[in-house]
Amino acid sequence: MRNEELIRIFMENASKVAAKPIRVEGSNKLNDILDEILANETSVYCPAKTELEKSVIIDVERRVEALENATSSVEEVVAGIAETGSIVVSSANGRALQTSLLPTYHVALLSADNIFASLDEFFKIMGNDLPTNVTFITGPSRTADIELTLTIGVHGPEKVSILVI
Amino acid sequence: MKKPGGQSINFRDNARQALQNPTLRRAMRHATETFRNKRNDAIDGIPFEEWREQASELRKSIIGNINGYVDEFAVNATKRGAIVHRAKTAADARDLITAILKDNGAKSIVKSKSMVTEEIHLNKCLADLGFRVIETDLGEYIIQIAGETPSHIIVPAIHRSKEQIGQLFCEKLGCDFSDDPAVLTDTARKLLRQEFLSADAAISGANCYIANTGSIVLFTNEGNGRMVTTLPPLHIVVTSIEKALPSIDDLPLLMRLLPRSATGQVLTSYLSIISGQRMAYSTMDTKRLHIVLLDNGRSEIARGPYWEMLKCIKCGACMNVCPVYGMIGGHAYASTYPGPMGVILSTLLNGLENAHPLLDATTLCGACAEACPVKVPLLKLLYELREMRVAKGYNNTLEGVSMRGFGIAAKNAHIFRTGQASAGALWPLAGILSPVTVNRLPKPVKRTFRRRFS
Repeated sequence: MRNEELIRIFMENASKVAAKPIRVEGSNKLNDILDEILANETSVYCPAKTELEKSVIIDVERRVEALENATSSVEEVVAGIAETGSIVVSSANGRALQTSLLPTYHVALLSADNIFASLDEFFKIMGNDLPTNVTFITGPSRTADIELTLTIGVHGPEKVSILVI
Repeated sequence: MKKPGGQSINFRDNARQALQNPTLRRAMRHATETFRNKRNDAIDGIPFEEWREQASELRKSIIGNINGYVDEFAVNATKRGAIVHRAKTAADARDLITAILKDNGAKSIVKSKSMVTEEIHLNKCLADLGFRVIETDLGEYIIQIAGETPSHIIVPAIHRSKEQIGQLFCEKLGCDFSDDPAVLTDTARKLLRQEFLSADAAISGANCYIANTGSIVLFTNEGNGRMVTTLPPLHIVVTSIEKALPSIDDLPLLMRLLPRSATGQVLTSYLSIISGQRMAYSTMDTKRLHIVLLDNGRSEIARGPYWEMLKCIKCGACMNVCPVYGMIGGHAYASTYPGPMGVILSTLLNGLENAHPLLDATTLCGACAEACPVKVPLLKLLYELREMRVAKGYNNTLEGVSMRGFGIAAKNAHIFRTGQASAGALWPLAGILSPVTVNRLPKPVKRTFRRRFS
């Protein structure tokens, strides 16, 4: 499948599960888009471990070092799955899984090269030597436990944006 | 009609009471209808039958070698630093879990939803021993503060209306009354966040475990499952042996079938694959992982004539289409697992002698078997267990006598005619002898169909 087609399917399926995929054309536009979507956020956490994360600029006054105190987080995720519109986070390289869990707003940075067409394709690449924790995230945290009424944002984030770079 | 623990399953009385509860009837109608529609939409336009067939064959081969997969899993999970325990009975599992908690000095425990821990009545045991146990799935949290048991394996509090939940929160949590699900959810979110961050230990279930990687897999939506498996320093997984998958490559099939069948989702919000113990990134990370694999009679079921029940992946699709479950809800079954899969599994786990009244909870329409994503022959199993009930003499005596009588009459035209003629006269008497059975039957007509032609 052509890369552009894969990106299109991924973004379409991610929208269906209430995530907000945004296409970033060129990494120099990344900070403009982040400024825009994080405009109302007061405390932002970014691990700054990968090259992509290191290129993220967040003002000193709202950047927090402790994840527990952040209302939003920006981090690179390891993969996107076009079939389900999911993003994948992993504990490999000492990454904190709670980055995509504790804040109410999770901004995922996804390199377009890491989008896989199907679940099978992703697992083939992963092999059998899995990191301690691999988590697929498909949209925001949700529940339907009260009268099957869909409520977004239970314990995890109520908003998930995916910047496809 | 005794169940272990001395409570009796009086299914017919329970069902009659449930039918007289309009709030419950409304809730069940709404829930099962919504779930049915969502599931039907979710399987539209995908090769569902093909996947079902594959999953059925896969699950068959797993149950045929279940203890082999348990062994392989134990070896691989141990290599990854998890401590694997096997529990033959529910009591063994409770003792093991209690010992692990005590060894680690844990007092407060957060739980994510687990039907296996319901099966072994873990919460009551831990509470009796002085542990503080908090359920963190919203539905489980609601029924925990209400002092109830789950009425559905996926949405445990589905029997309650939002007004009832609002009232409950108001009384037990001291918050202002609201019947807005979003407000109620937010109340629970705020209260539970502190619990996640301060708990000494976590207990979760697992939707499946992977033999060749030693991983356990959790499908969740709220995020509480991720909180409990990554925040407290100790994590205990409690799952049952039949939930094996041979290889990680088998997981995509389950990922495609389970959420679609359970809630009509393409995939749950979160799916976590946990392989062994993780190195802590900070002070608030999980450091020790224990896995308790419960047998509780499953090895024996796997060797017996009803082994196909163990193919079940616990999605709840069968209860959402069951006309009996849809009318009465889960509590009438008075057992951990309700609905068609629950009737069969409870009978197999607790014994025919204890659970046979549940075998009345079917119309034998077969909708359950059609909905099952792994082709458990639910209808066939229900038939066979009902035959076994008659063979063992657990059915109602009067029903047995009348069915035998009918059998004789139906084979002989003379007796049949006489019987038909006298039925009208004898009906009031039969009504006194067996009011429940007789009231369900249509009254005999004066002029029979046969007589119109003779």
